Amino acid sequence: MTRYILRRLLLAVPTLAGIVVLVFFLLHLAPGSPMSAMGGDSGRRVSQRAAEEMRKIYGLDRPLPERFGRWVSRVVRLDFGESFVDRRPVLDRIEEALPYTLVLNGLALLLTLAIAVPLGVVTGGRPEGALDRASGALLFALYSLPAFWAALLLQALFSVRLRWLPLYGVVSDSPEGIGLADRASHLVLPVVCLTYGSLAFFARLIRASVAETRNADYVLAARARGLSRREALWKHAFRNALLPLVTLLGLVLPGLLSGSVIIERIFAWPGVGRLYFDSILSRDYPVVLALSLLGAVATLLLTLAADIASAAVDPRVRDGTLG
Amino acid sequence: MRLAASLSRVCPAALFSAAVFLVPACGDGSRGNRAARPVVRPANPARIRASPALLGYLDESGLPPRREGGTLRRRLIGDPATLNAVMQSGAPEQEVLQYVSRNILDFDSRMRLVPGLAESYTVSPDGRSFTFTIRKDARWEDGSPVSPADAVFTIRSIVDPKVPSPVFKSVFDGLLSVEASGDHSFTARFREPSAYRAMAFVLPVLPAHRFSGVDFLHAPGNRAPLANGPYRLASWRAQDEIVLERNPRAWGERGHFDRIVFKVLPEDAVSYRALVGGTVDETRLDTSGRERARSDRAFADCCRMVEYYDLGWNYIALNNKSPLFSNPAVRRALTMLLDRAGIVRGLFRGSARILSGPWAPDSPAYDPAVPPLPFNPRAASALLDAAGWRDSNGDGTRDRGGREFSFDLLVSSGTTTGRQIDETFIAELARAGIRARIRSLEWASFTERVDSGNFEAASLAWSASDPNPDPYPYWHSSQSPPQGLNSQSYRNDQADRLMESARREQNGERRLAIYHRLHRIFRDDAPVIFVATSSQKFGFRNRVRGLVTSPLGLFGIWPGPIGWWDADGQGQAVASPAARSGP
Repeated sequence: MTRYILRRLLLAVPTLAGIVVLVFFLLHLAPGSPMSAMGGDSGRRVSQRAAEEMRKIYGLDRPLPERFGRWVSRVVRLDFGESFVDRRPVLDRIEEALPYTLVLNGLALLLTLAIAVPLGVVTGGRPEGALDRASGALLFALYSLPAFWAALLLQALFSVRLRWLPLYGVVSDSPEGIGLADRASHLVLPVVCLTYGSLAFFARLIRASVAETRNADYVLAARARGLSRREALWKHAFRNALLPLVTLLGLVLPGLLSGSVIIERIFAWPGVGRLYFDSILSRDYPVVLALSLLGAVATLLLTLAADIASAAVDPRVRDGTLG
Repeated sequence: MRLAASLSRVCPAALFSAAVFLVPACGDGSRGNRAARPVVRPANPARIRASPALLGYLDESGLPPRREGGTLRRRLIGDPATLNAVMQSGAPEQEVLQYVSRNILDFDSRMRLVPGLAESYTVSPDGRSFTFTIRKDARWEDGSPVSPADAVFTIRSIVDPKVPSPVFKSVFDGLLSVEASGDHSFTARFREPSAYRAMAFVLPVLPAHRFSGVDFLHAPGNRAPLANGPYRLASWRAQDEIVLERNPRAWGERGHFDRIVFKVLPEDAVSYRALVGGTVDETRLDTSGRERARSDRAFADCCRMVEYYDLGWNYIALNNKSPLFSNPAVRRALTMLLDRAGIVRGLFRGSARILSGPWAPDSPAYDPAVPPLPFNPRAASALLDAAGWRDSNGDGTRDRGGREFSFDLLVSSGTTTGRQIDETFIAELARAGIRARIRSLEWASFTERVDSGNFEAASLAWSASDPNPDPYPYWHSSQSPPQGLNSQSYRNDQADRLMESARREQNGERRLAIYHRLHRIFRDDAPVIFVATSSQKFGFRNRVRGLVTSPLGLFGIWPGPIGWWDADGQGQAVASPAARSGP
């Protein structure tokens, strides 16, 4: 087991290096620059002299390999530099946005699992049953709803017409915006929007695995031992369905950090997705690089964690006889 | 009381227009920032001309009753990057700073320069030195006086090569020196006289004493500015909310609201709902937003629309260096292939005006006696034939010397209006045997292509935040890429000479006469396709009163938003001054 983990860790190093090089050069070679992005939507044009001075201030007048060397040497000391936009440390900006995104995406994932797991097990237990067919159609309909459209629709109904829920933001304008209830009410719509699309994904995956295993010999044996249908499904069929779920979670969990640009913009949620998006538009290289690196490291570590978990759950993975 | 009962009048355009920004075509983008501008002395404000606008300018500043107190909830499209006035770069910063930092001079709603921090200024006989006298009662939030040293420090920071100051840098390009010249005055000296130079001093000032011994780029004051205006910063939650409260040390004109809350709302569709739902008091609307508001009962019950023309306009830049567009007759033909009247009717729903030259019609530099070229595909076709562009190989596309008449038309992906104009245009071009393809680019890549002159045609908008009409930086041949902002590389020796002489001309009337001659040349040379100027549209909650619009917008003037009040407020009503008289 230890050897397995070590081997995977070693494999992660070149992958990470590849990602770093690729992101750095793609970003710097892409058209546009912090100077040409200046002013954003308001579209100011910067005079040549001002642009030249700014290039020097940002250090963009140095050759690309030199900039890469400097960046790498700082990053290995965990110094991500400062934002071109507001001159604050990059990590401060990320630290500010990360909790908002973690809360939002974490809740959305929990809600997704809370609905998808029982739904997947029940429909998997009776594939092609009425519930399976109805939920399948519904889930695919939800899956294909564009998020921005659904978000605007939900806002129109629950915030504008019924006035049950706040339209946007994290808290209400004080003084009522202090309580937990107020904060929770601001989470409802964005969490719903982030949840409904991924439901199909999880529920159908679990359904497929459960449907596959429900007639396996050990499940039948369990039934023969006198376990109820329900117990057999949950204790035996579902356990085996866990394997693909763990792998999927490993792929989905890094998304907790990256945030959703569309949902965060529509609900004016000050999270990482918006920070990333705005930083790309303004060519704020240090922030984009730091966030890309963070995402890459999280993806690698969590995929690894998922693999280890799979190995723990399934001895066949460990022994190399499967996957 | 509804808007109809309020005082509405046509505003005279007094000074001039210009300054540049590229806006994702159609002007929806800008809310009055200031920009790269050359130059000098206050032009003759005596020249007053009724605006040919369909819409008048609004002035509610005399409406009773004026109430004190309450909270104004404003919308920002993005989080300010800094609240350091010198380093500001976008509209959100300007909109917040306006409450917190007074300018040395300000524009009023008629685009005249009026006193701000400076009570007066004098210009030396050679037109190169400006001496400003700072008000003796001007105070910072900490009680210290606003001193000439502050102004000197601010201007020196702007020209410091180690300080990024995209907005003000080019304005102070020709600065020789700036010194305190008395207990309350300072003098700035420039290399050359220039007719619009005083506009450079529509400029906020930094507290020098807060920056001594700290690194300018990382000073704590950049995120917690020391106020010298009617409000001060109470709190700032990044990407979310900025709250301002009254500055207890305020001097001069004070605001009416107790608190100003700015909400960062990036999406227009959401800010419209926030307006109707009552969580913000104002928001910008685009043309579709206006159509929606017009048929929305909920909007009519709570809000009103404010619509006016500013100094911005749309155009399609043609690269004059390209063999396709080097001939003025061809560029004229292309202008005549664009159905501008149809675009105004269809796309803008009537809320736009066709242009014939490089100024907005409300700028005095614009000569209303120069009619735009007509929409006339047959005449255009004849011009193209005469220029040698014929379909010689019968493939449906004109060609000349083996080169097909086909090109890429760049558009910024952020604009829908620009793209719709382009689609109308390429359909008409196709009928005339010209093949154009729309290429949509994200903003930073788009501006890079345009600024470097690396394009054939591009859909653009001009946005002006001050009335300086000097065409030199944007149309003189010496300003072609890569040095300058004449992205289309326009060159006409006669126009060059006229632009140079206008810069030297000290008499306002004569300068205007030169601009009018230039206007005719621009129309006939068609260096770009002048499209239209479209109205700026905002939705306002009815409770917010005291709005004044001007060609500089709602926000680019003094007192601007500081003069607004809460008509439904609980606060005490105060006598309002007599409505300001018209021209």
